[in-house]
Amino acid sequence: MASLKRSVESDPLAANISNKIYVRSTKSGKVQKIVREVYLRQDIPCSSKLCQRCFTTAPRDASGKLIPFVLSDSPAGTKVFPQGHYLVPDTNAFLTAMDLFEQESAFYDVIVLQIVLEELRNRSLPLYNRLLSLTKSEDKRFYVFFNEFRLETHVPRLDGETVNDRNDRAVRKAVEWYGEHLARSKGKGKDVPAIVMLSNDRDNLKKAKQEGVNACSLADYVKTLKDGEKLLDMIPETQDSDQIKEKRPGDNLYPEYFSMSKMMTGVKNNLLHQGIFNVSPYNYLEGSIRVPAFPKALLILGRENINRAVDGDLVVVEVLPKDQWKEPSTQVIEEDAITKNENPDAEESDDFVSEKERKALQEEVKRTQSKTTEGHAQPTAKVVGVIKRNWRQYVGHIDQSSVSQSANQGKKQDSVFVIPMDKKIPKIRLRTRQVSELLGKRILVTIDAWDRSSRHPSGHFVRSLGELETKAAETEALLLEYDVQYRPFPKTVLDCLPKEGHDWKVPQNLEDPGWKDRQDLRDLLICSIDPIGCQDIDDALHSRPLPNGNFEVGVHIADVSHFVRPGNAMDAEASIRGTTVYLVDKRIDMLPMLLGTDLCSLKPYVERYAFSVIWEMTPSADIVGSRFTKSVIKSREAFSYEQAQLRVDDSSQQDELTTNIRILLDLSKKLKQKRLDAGALSLSSPEVKVQMESETSDPIDVKTKVHLDTMSLVEEFMLLANTSVARRIHEAFPQTAILRRHGAPPKTNFDDLANQLKVKRGLDLSVESSRALADSLDRCVDEKEPFFNTLVRIMATRCMMSAEYFCSGTQSYPEFRHYGLASEIYTHFTSPIRRYADLMAHRQLAAAIEYEAVHPSTRSRGKLEAVCKNINVRHRNAQLAGRASIAYYVGQALRGKATEEDGFVMKIFSNGFVVLVPKFGIESLIRLRDLAETEPQAEFDAENYVLTTGGSRELRVELFQKVRVRVTDQKDETTGKRGVKMELVRTY
Amino acid sequence: MPLDTSTYGLALLRVDGRRWNELRRIHAQIRTQAAADGSSYLEMGHTKVMCVVTGPSEPGPRRGAAGGAAGGGGGAGGQSKDAEVVVNIVIAGFSSVDRKRRGRGDKRTLEMQSTLANTLAATLHTHLFPHSQINISLHVLSQDGSLLAALINAATLACVDAGIPMTDYVTACTAGSTSTYAANDEGADPLLDLNHQEEQELPGLTVATLGDSDRVVALVCESRVQISRLEGMLAVGVDGCKQVREILDQVIKAQGQKMILEGTVDKGTGLNDMDLD
Repeated sequence: MASLKRSVESDPLAANISNKIYVRSTKSGKVQKIVREVYLRQDIPCSSKLCQRCFTTAPRDASGKLIPFVLSDSPAGTKVFPQGHYLVPDTNAFLTAMDLFEQESAFYDVIVLQIVLEELRNRSLPLYNRLLSLTKSEDKRFYVFFNEFRLETHVPRLDGETVNDRNDRAVRKAVEWYGEHLARSKGKGKDVPAIVMLSNDRDNLKKAKQEGVNACSLADYVKTLKDGEKLLDMIPETQDSDQIKEKRPGDNLYPEYFSMSKMMTGVKNNLLHQGIFNVSPYNYLEGSIRVPAFPKALLILGRENINRAVDGDLVVVEVLPKDQWKEPSTQVIEEDAITKNENPDAEESDDFVSEKERKALQEEVKRTQSKTTEGHAQPTAKVVGVIKRNWRQYVGHIDQSSVSQSANQGKKQDSVFVIPMDKKIPKIRLRTRQVSELLGKRILVTIDAWDRSSRHPSGHFVRSLGELETKAAETEALLLEYDVQYRPFPKTVLDCLPKEGHDWKVPQNLEDPGWKDRQDLRDLLICSIDPIGCQDIDDALHSRPLPNGNFEVGVHIADVSHFVRPGNAMDAEASIRGTTVYLVDKRIDMLPMLLGTDLCSLKPYVERYAFSVIWEMTPSADIVGSRFTKSVIKSREAFSYEQAQLRVDDSSQQDELTTNIRILLDLSKKLKQKRLDAGALSLSSPEVKVQMESETSDPIDVKTKVHLDTMSLVEEFMLLANTSVARRIHEAFPQTAILRRHGAPPKTNFDDLANQLKVKRGLDLSVESSRALADSLDRCVDEKEPFFNTLVRIMATRCMMSAEYFCSGTQSYPEFRHYGLASEIYTHFTSPIRRYADLMAHRQLAAAIEYEAVHPSTRSRGKLEAVCKNINVRHRNAQLAGRASIAYYVGQALRGKATEEDGFVMKIFSNGFVVLVPKFGIESLIRLRDLAETEPQAEFDAENYVLTTGGSRELRVELFQKVRVRVTDQKDETTGKRGVKMELVRTY
Repeated sequence: MPLDTSTYGLALLRVDGRRWNELRRIHAQIRTQAAADGSSYLEMGHTKVMCVVTGPSEPGPRRGAAGGAAGGGGGAGGQSKDAEVVVNIVIAGFSSVDRKRRGRGDKRTLEMQSTLANTLAATLHTHLFPHSQINISLHVLSQDGSLLAALINAATLACVDAGIPMTDYVTACTAGSTSTYAANDEGADPLLDLNHQEEQELPGLTVATLGDSDRVVALVCESRVQISRLEGMLAVGVDGCKQVREILDQVIKAQGQKMILEGTVDKGTGLNDMDLD
């Protein structure tokens, strides 16, 4: 019997093979031991341009290409290392101060070790991705050195050594090897740069010193840099907290989080619930969380129950006993008003729940208990742990009152509060040495940690955007806050544009490949109708009578998919941007200007590629047939809505183009009626337009938008085109069509509004179907007050779900429904210049009509789902950013003016009420204390929505009431935004 | 937990430190079971299999209907003039990380059995053994990717050991590509000899060739990959098969040498051209 045993030594390769052994636990709680082979090698280059040896053995890829060497031959130096240095940060350095490494002023020639990259990936995926993009940027010169695979730097774990200690040792070993290697293999007459390890681990630094390896802590290193003072602020403070003191357990203000396994078991057994934590916009001490187990959201009240959760975090909650159930607050509580005088330095001295917070809570309890109806109390919960933080960078400004006098002078590090622009985010404690410079500026900060012992989260400074209230700073703040990608397009993207640039033309030769399968529609009388000044013209229309008495109607959409090929850099960039963002004075494009406003744009008088949807319709707007084709068109005219309207209304105009528009208008009215009959909702939101002075582009006036017939003309045909395309692509790709749905809102969403209408006006709101809702909204009228109907529509709109893109395989067919449009199936097809979803729909339609082959990325479901998820978020952010921009400019337009306007009460609290002024489309809170010098006494009847005040000012305010308010501008101290301030003049 | 396959582009290194065109360590032994007609043991990285060949022998009593319940039968039935190749694969429950027990009727195992049986039936000279059966039993002790390739290689070695006449070595290995199908990366490198992690994340195929030639005797591709990348993958795979052949050849020769030195066999005429130094 032959023995299978063999000694390790007999294998010539044994020295080069090692194993990586680790233990991991799966989601289901199983523990697995994984053994992986590691092949050690000596041909991994050091990638320094100084090195003359590595170059000969450097690896090549399958096509024989070499990866260029990264590290500079004359790296920057500091006072301590005048000969220049390469940096080798450890994992902790990246974890705590990634912002530093992204600086442009320093941190070049960095060696990222494989072990560090691995650890970083396990600890934080976003940071890992940021580091990867740094290694890809050419000018930062970050090199990933695979130390675990290089024979000399591979470090086996010793007996009894912890993983962390081994990894630290691996980092030191790599630093040591680099030093020796460069000394041996550099060219003659050149200095060897120092290899410097950056670490915050004192133990590691000590050992490095013993082994003679250059090492410093991040802070020490940054101090030696030129603008070190500033950069120092970007190192989070928490890292040195371990040196300051060990906090006694008694100091902890917040309850401890459960362990991960305890939470997981709890969630599995349905004892705990997992969901996304949302903060109420009116009360920073009240949050809510939707969990799958209950139809209604759970309330989370008070600092202690919120337990360090920040808006957007994925948390686990425990339901509180019934005696602690409460009603949602009817009071407005703003953080700044209550915690105004807190001292950022003296954390521990005062009680955890401050006196004022306590008082606010007391009143709450009193009110709840005085209630006769107990049924109103809602289940409450408390946060017991955070699964995933959703922290990002926040824009804010330093709270003036938190700055101590001494801070204004010295360069001493000082603690201040930063008030984020987003009211839902708590104040952030920041330690900085440049308080005096940062006061009155918009700044970008991140949250680093929130300890149990500290009332507010602590963070660090990232960069300054500029003075408060300057246009540049505010716009950038807005874009950052809504995560809009506003950087210029990188070169790789611009390289994808047609080489001819603006001279690109539709080829004259019909044999050209561009003409393949394209229909020549240049002789049709096509025109486009858009808002004034529109440059990116997505759509154009035509109609003509057919001999059989029917009409041919065509919608022609810019053929963006011809220029943006799937999978290239431009496509990738567009899919990340997701949508064009329109601000009052600025447009952040999804596609480069050349395409958006020229080559794709269906400009008049020139030939353009288009994707056409052509129907045959009866005079009563029934569709007889439809077809889709790629085409070449020549638009005859680009009208604005107003021009088109004038032309239609002017009966002396009898040319063919105008008659065609009249046909379209006629058909569109019939289409609209059909849609309304099917139960489409006509919702409303206050829309205004800011008028700018043409030269200085300063806002001068605010106008509400006027609705014209020609607008709904365009809208109807776009809806029709979208629906037709949706049907076609769903037919061709039942699993992967990209569609848009609008879920029916849960009935509970309308509970409040229905109750309010019933109590105040005796009106019934039926929400069984969109049709019923549309009808009951039509009945909500007040003869004396025409705006009442619009007001109700605005409030109803806020009860709706938001529409979303999805991939058809993820939902069953009945779920495809678009509630608002009352359409069975819907997609976005008509604006490919400004929406990525439309571009995807174009590609799918092109494949469906067999114009081109299906590209893998448009049929891989996983990929499509990821795209949908991203564009849903981007779409929402773009809307929010647009609205915020209007709000900012409305504030600016009203600057220094005071006008009296009519408004309507749309929300009422026990200590204030919200008034909407339709003329400016703004709403604002009027607090009781704003009504008179001394805050009047108030009686709040929550069941009838009436607030009666007495004492210093006697008033009776109720819901839906028309009031007269004085509108002035005011700088909001909390958010640093200039906004409107309303004062109540009188009630009607 | 180590990085995944997406970091290949950073330094042209795979998850286990290999380059794109490198095989894992292959270790093989033959005649591991003295009692069997032919036997072998083969490791490709952490994939470990053993193989025992019995036969050619008289077919045993058949159970059930014709076609054979026990694994894929290659060639014709026991009554014909060609020998039947019967392959039986047992995957040990402890061979993979998650200790999944695979039963007899496991579809993937059945498919591997029939692929293997068909491949071998085409290469072994079955017409020399009418009315007989060649039984090939394979046991998988440990899995780390390229399982089918390892099984083919082990079976080849065991057949050589059993002295069954065959056209040439059948050697196999896997080839993959450095980026996923959906990434649609034009510049993706082909990869040789995938391990388990790469098999999970990347497209791949298994290819087997005959001897030193480019003749492909088995090709299995179960993942989606762009047609433009296939040629490169296949070329690398075929090249890998040749390297594997060299290694297997050395193993056989070393064993033969040992047997001659031990006097187990005479240095016959047929072995004259064998190097003894």
